Formats: sequence, structure tokens, C-alpha cells
Amino acid sequence: MEVELCPILRSFGSEQNVLSRPDGSASFVQGDTSVLAGVYGPAEVKVSKEIYDRATLEVVIQPKVGLPSVRERAREQCIRETCEAALLSTLHPRSSLTLILQVVHDDGSLLACYLNAACMALIDAGLPMSSLFCGITCAINTEGQIITDPSVQQEKESRALLTFAIDSVERKVMMSSTKGSFSVKELQQCIAVSQKASEEIFQFYRDSVKRRYSKIM
Amino acid sequence: MAGVELLSDQGYRLDGRKASELRKVQARMGVFAQADGSAYIEQGNTKALAVVYGPHEVRGSRSRTMHDRAVINCQYSMATFSTAERKRRPHGDRKSSEMSLHLKQTFEAAVLTQLYPRSQIDIYVKILQSDGGNYSACVNAATLALVDAGIPMRDYVCACTAGFVEDTPLADLCHAEESGGGTTLALALLPRSRHIALVQMDARLHQDHLDMLMEAAAEACRGLSKVLDGVVRQHLQEVSVLTRD
Amino acid sequence: MKDTPLSNCERQFLLKAVEEKKRVDGRQTYDYRNIKITFGTEYGCCIVDLGKTRILAQVSCELVPPKDSRPTEGILFFNLELSPMASPAFELGRQSELLVKLNRQLERCLRNSKCIDTESLCVISGEKVWQIRVDVHVLNHDGNLMDAASIAAIAALSHFRRPEVAIQGRDITVFTPEERDPIPLSIYHMPICVSFAFFQQGTYLLVDPCEREERVMDGLLVIAMNKHREICSIQSSGGIMLLKEQVLRCSKIASVKVSEITELINKALDNDKRARKEGGKFGFAESMPKERITALKKDEAPVEMTDVQDTANEIISRTEAQPDIVKVPSPVVPAPGTGQVGEGLLNTWGLEEEEDEEEEQHEKEEMSTGEVMVLSDSEEDDVVILNPDANKPKRLEGGSKKGVEAPKKQKTSH
Repeated sequence: MEVELCPILRSFGSEQNVLSRPDGSASFVQGDTSVLAGVYGPAEVKVSKEIYDRATLEVVIQPKVGLPSVRERAREQCIRETCEAALLSTLHPRSSLTLILQVVHDDGSLLACYLNAACMALIDAGLPMSSLFCGITCAINTEGQIITDPSVQQEKESRALLTFAIDSVERKVMMSSTKGSFSVKELQQCIAVSQKASEEIFQFYRDSVKRRYSKIM
Repeated sequence: MAGVELLSDQGYRLDGRKASELRKVQARMGVFAQADGSAYIEQGNTKALAVVYGPHEVRGSRSRTMHDRAVINCQYSMATFSTAERKRRPHGDRKSSEMSLHLKQTFEAAVLTQLYPRSQIDIYVKILQSDGGNYSACVNAATLALVDAGIPMRDYVCACTAGFVEDTPLADLCHAEESGGGTTLALALLPRSRHIALVQMDARLHQDHLDMLMEAAAEACRGLSKVLDGVVRQHLQEVSVLTRD
Repeated sequence: MKDTPLSNCERQFLLKAVEEKKRVDGRQTYDYRNIKITFGTEYGCCIVDLGKTRILAQVSCELVPPKDSRPTEGILFFNLELSPMASPAFELGRQSELLVKLNRQLERCLRNSKCIDTESLCVISGEKVWQIRVDVHVLNHDGNLMDAASIAAIAALSHFRRPEVAIQGRDITVFTPEERDPIPLSIYHMPICVSFAFFQQGTYLLVDPCEREERVMDGLLVIAMNKHREICSIQSSGGIMLLKEQVLRCSKIASVKVSEITELINKALDNDKRARKEGGKFGFAESMPKERITALKKDEAPVEMTDVQDTANEIISRTEAQPDIVKVPSPVVPAPGTGQVGEGLLNTWGLEEEEDEEEEQHEKEEMSTGEVMVLSDSEEDDVVILNPDANKPKRLEGGSKKGVEAPKKQKTSH
């Protein structure tokens, strides 16, 4: 299948230290999709949930309307596993880390936005991590074109939707969540596209942190 | 309820009362033998029953114990047969929780809790028939029950509702007047010091009328406090006659 | 997680400061913190910042059958949630006193004051009405949640547009925003709550307490008013002893504050309307402050695609050498939402039985000593009895209806 590749990432932005109460907080905006993340930790953990040699990570996703449903639980699972792979949780045994994500506006590629906001909030909280991670969503539309960072309209018209979490050290895939049908070749192409796109996002992370501490350094 | 005249031209209300007249109040204390204090009050058609247990050790979570004062625990519930339509959830819903919180706050201000550190006083109130002024009936019943239990208070806590129709404040509203869409103000007052323990108002009222409305409610509370005082003294007389040798 | 407890010296410091009419953040006793209102791209979404307290409100609508007691009126539903993000003391799913109090106050302030015309929400009397749902999320708790929540709720309601409907007899057609412009709700007035915190048994009062001041206060008085100087609701909480004069004084202060805040809301609504009309950019993305060093924005960027095709092909070719895979018939999609594997195949369910039996046979031959083993007395179970001389285990008649003779394995014809 011939694939014409002209994907773009929508304009994105983020603000750190948005909220005063959480230890770390960040808001991440991709196009019109906007997510707010807050991190508390390392803090006291309930005895029933404590793990003797590492920190207990809890992820909470709050939808805008109504009570959280199974979809939110599934996404919480994806994000928790990504974070646990990246965080050095053995440095804080018997503690709790709580990550809370609130969707402010959903205009496509929501899971990727959650991941990016989560990473920025963890950076803002100063939690030790072995690598940074970012989320990229690819959509394959009916003609076989790969679109990165799709909007809600593009997501509806696509035949497959793939989200990958890419780590910053070796550009490996930490987590993947897909919907729809696609061939193995398309999967590999999407992974390669995501890896390329992740470079942009990691550069953005570096720039924003550099900018934040520019007055000090 | 539109079109129902709450105040006629001659100044009579739906049940024939004048604007500042209270409903008939009848009360009995000591209705339950096993409780530390109990009281039953009828304000017009609203009937409320209050039961007080305490002061006793803090039950349930030990963490609620306060080292210098008593914890007051209130529960407000309505009987399922108390309203025109059968009430399916007598307690646990938001309105009942809010009422319980308000009662707790009212009595925390009135009861001398510093005399009983590390204890708990339970107040349970049940509405048997609801015809307007639920909160006020509860407060009055609970006051009598606390007096019956012998728990020291700063003053009687008297509560009454007041409404506002055509520039005239009405005292002690019944259900029809409350749901008529006009203003309802509930006031819990300590009559001697004129301190307001709780004030709650719903629906729109122009700011200039607030003074008049509060004054009417305060006046009604003072009238009510005289009635409650009379009930307490009479009960005391009866009890002392019975226990006299 | 527990909130950090307040130390005694901090408490004494705050109380002493209140007595001297000083506030920790330098405000005067009757001053409000800075209020910032931003609207989102979709209608009915609003974020309010009251100092550092941040609250998000979202309005949505749905067609539902009306309540039996009021068949011609729409339904208003309010739901306030304390997000665990707002404070370490807020836990998910815990029905705390604060939550009940805030919810009830919000309901009373907005529903009982009849600020929205519910009769206009009726579509077909007795059958279908609009249910307007307001979800308020507390994102950061720095005191005075009630005021911020009421501002957010009323701003979101004023910003919201509901889809237009056309009624023909019993049929209702709901138009999407692209077909016909959505219409705003009819709001009579804007009730706004103003909170007063009392200290030292009602001697001192402060307007708009911050979180530290809330912790040391004796009680709170919340007055909801609109700009026409009508009081929509009064609620005192916390067990303080008030005098009538104090309540009247507070209502006067509240009327001044409310008119200021209402003007602010109207200005924000006008700005948003103008931005939408002129086709400029609007929404949260736009309202992110660019000049702060904690914020960074990057424009649209194309992704470098030059070697993607090659890398993909290379990865696939590396993994191409596979041992013979069992060919499974590829799924067919006859219609969207349905799937089908194969067509006209024989029922091969018996196959699994035989495989199970053979596995069981292997296990049990290792264990058994050749005696008959009755595994259970229950008639429901399939009990396997092993005879030492038979190769195949026989099945006892049990409750299940599995076939006694398993059909032979069949090769699929693909």
C-alpha cells in the first residue's frame, strides 16, 4: 500500500506550576485539547496500600461530565503502567504518589495529551525518573494515510487509532493502545512516525524547562 | 400554587391567622423512658419528636474525640408518612444531611460543651407530620429534649420561620405558604442575648425588606420562647409533685 | 492523604493579624482577590480563578421526560465535585460534610432563586424537556470555594447555548450546531454568593477568606445576591452567634461586591462573544499566558518523514522470517459493527472436548494407581473414572450434556 505521508503536529503549549496546592502541576494543550495534571507525592500512604520497597502510584482521571466509567479506568491503567516504568519508585518506599488528570477540553488525541501532561507534572514535582515519556496518537484514515495528532473529526473518520508512549532515552515504545484494524506494516510505520514526532515533543520539554529556570541558571 | 392568596385584604391568612400570629404550640417532655431526654412538639400541624442521649463516651471513630469539649452528633429524618407523597428516602439524601449539619451547628453554639470534654451528645430528631417549619419544629423539640436531659445550655434555642408577602412579613409559615414561591426565612435565636445561631433564607427578597423580615422572625422566636418556658416549668411541677414524698 | 495540620503559633498569628485588621496577603478586610474568568471553545465551559482557587464548570443538556409533579418545566441538575487535585485532604468518592454543604448551597442559590426560566426548557409538555446539567470541578482549593463555584456556574450557564429543536406533531428534530445556531438559555438574573468569615465570636469579619483564614475562622455567612439588590439566599454555618445588625451590614457589603463581580462576568462574556464573531482565536489554548516563564507555546510543526518508510520496511523484513503460522481465516466485515470468521464451516466445538480429555488423561495417569476415583458426589459435575485397561477415559453421566463420543479431528479446508 502506498502511503502518502504529510502528518503534522498541532500547535501545543504547556504551563507548569499552575496550581498552588499540588506538589507538581502542569497544563498541556494540543490544538484545542487541554488537560490539567496535578501530582502529590511522595506522601503518606494507607497501610493497606503500602508496598515495602517502592512507592505506590495511583492515577485518577476525572471526566468533565458525569461519573468516571470503565473507559477512564482503562486509560488510568495505561498511564499508570507508563509512569511506573519511567519513575524510580524504589527511591521512595512506603510512600504514595498520586497523579490526578482532569480533561478541560477534548478535541482528539486525548490519551496522548494525558501522557504529556502527566510527564510535565512529574517533572514539575521533581520526582526522580529514569526517562521522560511522551504520547503520540496516530490515525489511519480510510485512504491509508497516517495522520498524527488527529482532531475529533479526523478520529471519527479514521479506520484505526493508535496511541504510543515513547521514552526519551532510546525512543522505545513504553505503552501502546490501539483501536481499529490495521496491518503489521502500518503498525510499524506508525511507530516510526511516532518516534520521529516524539523528538519534537522532547525538544519542547527541554525548551520549557530551560526557559523556566533561565533566570536562575 | 399560583393564584392562591396568601394574605387577604382584611389581613387574614389561609388558615385564618393574622400576619404576625403563631400557630398553636403544644409540647410534652419526657415522652420516652429509656432516653436521657426526649420531647414532642406540635406547631400547628407540624409534629416533631426529639430524643437526646448523652453525654456519653464517643462511639464509632475514636478520632472524633475532642480533648476540650463534647462532640454533638445530630441526625434528622422524616417519617415516610410525614408528607403528602410517601417519602422514599427518609435519611441519607442531601437535604436531610444538610438539615443534620444545621442542627449540629445550632446546638454546638448553644450547649456548654466545654463542661464535657471527650464525650458525645446524640440528638435524634424525627418529623412525624410535615406542614411547614420543619427545621424550627426540630430545633424547638431538641431544645426541650436537652432541657429534659439536664444538659446545660446558654439559653433556650427557639426557631421560627417568617415569610414576606406584599410588604407584610408573615410569621410561622405553613406548608402552603412556604411552597407558594415567596420568601422563607428560618431563624434560630437565643432570646435573652438576641444572638442568632442560624439564619437561612431562600428565594428572592429585596435587600431593604431584610430588616423587617428578620425583626418579624425574631419577634416570633421570642413569643415561642415564652411558650417553651411555660412548658418546661409545668413539666417540672408535675415531676416534682410525683417525686415528692 | 491527610492535609498538613495547622500549628498553634500559625493559628495565633492569623488571629492576632485579624484583630489588627491586617491580612496575610495584604488585602483590606472587604477586598476580594483577583478574579479571572476564561471560557473554552465549546459553549458552556468556563474556568474561574479567584486568587489561587481554581474552579472549572461545564454545562451540558439532554432531552429527558419531565418530573411528574412539574410536567411543563425543564430540570436543572447541579453536581459539584471536589477533585483530589484541589487538596490532599480531598479523597475520591468520600461524601464529606464540605461536599454536602457546597452542593446544597449551590442548588439553593441557583435553583431556588429561579434565575433560569425553566418553562422555556419544555419541548413537549409531559413528555420531553431539556435537562440542564452543571458539573463544577474544584481544581485548586485556596479558600472560598462557594463564591468561586457560584461565579463559575452562573458564567457557564450564561455562556451555554442549547441546540435548537423543531417540533412537528410528536416528532422532535434536534438540529446540530452546524445546521442551525444554538440558542442561549434565558437567564433572568445572576445570583452570586459572597462569603463572610467571622472571628472571635463575631467581633471581626473578613470578606473572601483564603484557605489559612478559613481554618481559623469561627463561622461563615454566605449571602447570595444579584445586582438588582435582591437577596437570593442567606446561610450561616459554623455555629457562630450573630446579631441582626451584623447580618444587615453584611448584606450591604455584599450588594456592592456583587455588582462589581457581575460587571466582570458580563465583560468576560462580551469579550468572548466578540472574539467568536470576529473569527479570532478563543478558548483555553488562547488564554494561556505567553509571557510567563513557566509557560511555553509551540506552533504547528510538520513531522520529519523522510526515512519512515524505509525504517518501517526494515523492521518488517527483519521479523519476516517466521515459522509456519497456523493459517487462520481472516475476518470478514460484512457490515459495519459486525464480524464474521469463515463461512459454512463445520461445528468444531467437539474438538476442544477431545483435547481436554487427552490432557486430563495425561495428568491423571501420572497420579492414579489404577483405582476408580470418584472425584465428587455431585451430580452436576462431570466425573472422570479411570479404568486401568481402557485408553480413553469414560465419562460418567453427569448433569452436563457433552457428547459421549467426541468427533474426530478435522482438518480445516483453508
